Amino acid sequence: MPHNRPDVIDRAAGLLEDGSLFALRAVRPEFLNGAETCRASVLTPADDLGLEPELRNAIARRISLGSANADLIAEYPLPQAGDLRAMATGEMPSDPKLSTIANHTDTIAKSPHEASAAHLEALLHAGLTIPQVIALSELTAFAAFQIRVVHGLALLKEYQ
Amino acid sequence: MTKQHAPLPHVKVKALTWTPHLPPVEVEEATPAQLEAMKVTPSAKKVSPYVRTLAHDPESYVARTELFNAIMYVEEGLPRADRELGALAASLLNGCQYCANVHARQHIRMTKSSSTIAALCFDRPDALSARDAAIIDFANALTTTPPSANKSHMDSLFNVGMSEMEIVDLVHAIAIFGWANRLMHPLGHSQV
Repeated sequence: MPHNRPDVIDRAAGLLEDGSLFALRAVRPEFLNGAETCRASVLTPADDLGLEPELRNAIARRISLGSANADLIAEYPLPQAGDLRAMATGEMPSDPKLSTIANHTDTIAKSPHEASAAHLEALLHAGLTIPQVIALSELTAFAAFQIRVVHGLALLKEYQ
Repeated sequence: MTKQHAPLPHVKVKALTWTPHLPPVEVEEATPAQLEAMKVTPSAKKVSPYVRTLAHDPESYVARTELFNAIMYVEEGLPRADRELGALAASLLNGCQYCANVHARQHIRMTKSSSTIAALCFDRPDALSARDAAIIDFANALTTTPPSANKSHMDSLFNVGMSEMEIVDLVHAIAIFGWANRLMHPLGHSQV
């Protein structure tokens, strides 16, 4: 079943409901619905594996700072205060576990070629479980995917 | 004979093996949700170490696999070879040797030619077709952080005859490798 539009990608790419690209996206319902199902699976999963949605949101917002797209960043609620706010705004959280997560996601988001086994060891050493490491990897990579879909569609929009 | 005009040799790309850094889910110990997730791939009996690694988080694994398959294998729209080329360029820039290897081989299979792959291997952009060059330049620019793709890249795609729908497909093919590369490379290593 198609989800409600405009969705996050429509809004962040600035697609207008009466624009041709808005309609063109609907030609690929499996892309639209797939991206929405993925968003839920990494941000608000049925089983969060111990990484709560508030933390996931803060991490995704942090990665989306690398999009240079204010509308995309604004799709993630800004936490009020504390370490989650630091995480979400690109600062370094004071909690050692959260700062390890922040360092890891910064590397994967910005320079994935630099990733090594040592980065995963650091996450396990900071107290993450293996399922949490995998969930964090999927979340980080989803945010990277969405940044690029939005960027590409926003460029294409200029031709309609 | 100058370097620029040297003929490109045919290349053969040998398959790599991927090994996870972290212990994957063992099928015998999997939860019902993990077992169900691992069935998503067609080869049901033997589940690859990659699938078993990601099955630690079955919900995102299933969602991403369905989206990945839609983007790479959807009927009509952008030719498969062009999606593979976008995937390959993204994988090279993201440093994912395994994905680059797989999608270089797919591209050779789809086009029945290794000329594009040879041009990439031997750093001979002059030997690329205008279409391949436009795809690779756009894929590289969309893959940087932050993305640096601009109007000139988009103009090049239109100039080689791509439709809006084909460009939508290409954007997704490149973007989904911004995802896949960030799993495959950080979570394991590959070797011949």
